[in-house]
Amino acid sequence: MPLDLSHPVPTIDVRAAVSPEEWEVRVELAGLYRLAARHGMTDLGGTHFSARVPGLDHHFLINPYGLMFQEVTASNLVKIDTDGEVVLHNGFPVNPAGFTIHSAIHMAREDVVCVAHTHTVAGMAVSCLKEGLLPMTQHSLRFHNRISYHDWEGVATNLDERERLVRDLGGNQTMILRNHGVLCCGRSVPEAWRGLFALEKSCASQLQAMAIAKATGRPIKFPPESVAQGTSDKLESRHGKDTVSRDWPGQLSKLDREEPDYAQ
Amino acid sequence: MALDATSLPSLKGAVSDEEWDTRVELAGFYRLVAKHDMDDLVGTHISARVPGHPDQFLINPYGVLFDEITASSLIKVNMDGDVLSDGPWPVNAAGFTIHHAVLSGRDDVMCAAHTHTVAGMAISSVEGGLTPLTQKHMRFYKSIGHHPYEGIADDADECARLQRDLAGHDALLLENHGLLTCGPSVRSAWALLYNLEKCCQTQLVVEATGAELVTPSEELCESTRALFQRMLQKPGFGNLLDAWESSLRLVARDDDSFMH
Repeated sequence: MPLDLSHPVPTIDVRAAVSPEEWEVRVELAGLYRLAARHGMTDLGGTHFSARVPGLDHHFLINPYGLMFQEVTASNLVKIDTDGEVVLHNGFPVNPAGFTIHSAIHMAREDVVCVAHTHTVAGMAVSCLKEGLLPMTQHSLRFHNRISYHDWEGVATNLDERERLVRDLGGNQTMILRNHGVLCCGRSVPEAWRGLFALEKSCASQLQAMAIAKATGRPIKFPPESVAQGTSDKLESRHGKDTVSRDWPGQLSKLDREEPDYAQ
Repeated sequence: MALDATSLPSLKGAVSDEEWDTRVELAGFYRLVAKHDMDDLVGTHISARVPGHPDQFLINPYGVLFDEITASSLIKVNMDGDVLSDGPWPVNAAGFTIHHAVLSGRDDVMCAAHTHTVAGMAISSVEGGLTPLTQKHMRFYKSIGHHPYEGIADDADECARLQRDLAGHDALLLENHGLLTCGPSVRSAWALLYNLEKCCQTQLVVEATGAELVTPSEELCESTRALFQRMLQKPGFGNLLDAWESSLRLVARDDDSFMH
């Protein structure tokens, strides 16, 4: 088959076909894909971010299968139901197997708007550590006593795994998928971004600190438990306020300047 | 003026359409390796068999940086080492040895790729090589070869030992040296190389901690490896997972000269 590098475009005018509320989420989710790409959180065509479409229909948006995150746009996101079936055909395919983890969480957690899953090196690495994420830095204290762990069961195509994913996540927004990667939810798309970013930095810095501690015998210092819990509580209390992700508007305006096609 | 690969005359139309398509994909592969910081100045090499000519393959012009390689600058050689194309650059002798060994020994292989990344060199130098740590690692579980280092690979005698060590696998740790992957298409060799690189990077930081690990059971490692293998045998599988066309569009957006 000759190589076809023509740029795939939606077969319908998606903006005209959806509600203004849905369009807004589409722009935010496409922005999240672009930000993640800028921060090296891609894995070729693997891993997905999904967002709930506002309303009562239990519809979700997910990336078109086969595109790098850098090519995701508001219009090429695909709208699917909880079974991964396409409900608004825009000419792009989806990966239903890749939606298994997402659908489990979207079905069980009405408060979750966005579910983001990555296979970054640092995230995969911490997912292999028995002690998991350590409450070591201000970045990681965000997750102190607010992070869950899910044991690896093989490639997540088994629908039975859904209930164990939901059980393990509990009421948290963040979960380490053991021997696999990480999962960051958000009650908004900006909150999922904040989680992805903070968790990535937390994992990367923890790994370096642990390597130093191992090599030199100089142990890692941890803040006292009261400080750790206080910091975690304070950051959690920002939920619903604009401080949840103070950088988000700036991030989107940077995308507007440098890669405005994300919002098309 | 230094020689510039991008200014060579185009071979489009002068070679078969199939060869041209392979040249474009292979040049794209070199650009992706550069884009992902997996290149090593002008060292290492990626090859692809010429469609319809199983005894000929394409390889990089030795001396051109990976982010300047073009479809038309790739060199065509046969299995005897005769150069069949015109151009100002030679073939890297070690590159010929390695790729000749892989492509002449394996009819199922269309493309072979070799890197000297930091993570790949590190893992290739540690006893035991790759550890089955994550889902991603299972693609290589008990299915990656090891080839002991023999010095610069410009000795034709090494061919037989490379073939022996790669037998039955599509990935090889070149000990004290780097990584090698191969596959039935250019895109499959790229996806495998990318994933192997990520596995090495992950293992380096995991094992440097010296901490206690969560280790998947042998049964789970084995069943996942088997699942990946079954998936790969499905025709067309991976053609979306590897995001090949999308990746090349991103390369072309910055610099489309690889297609010339």
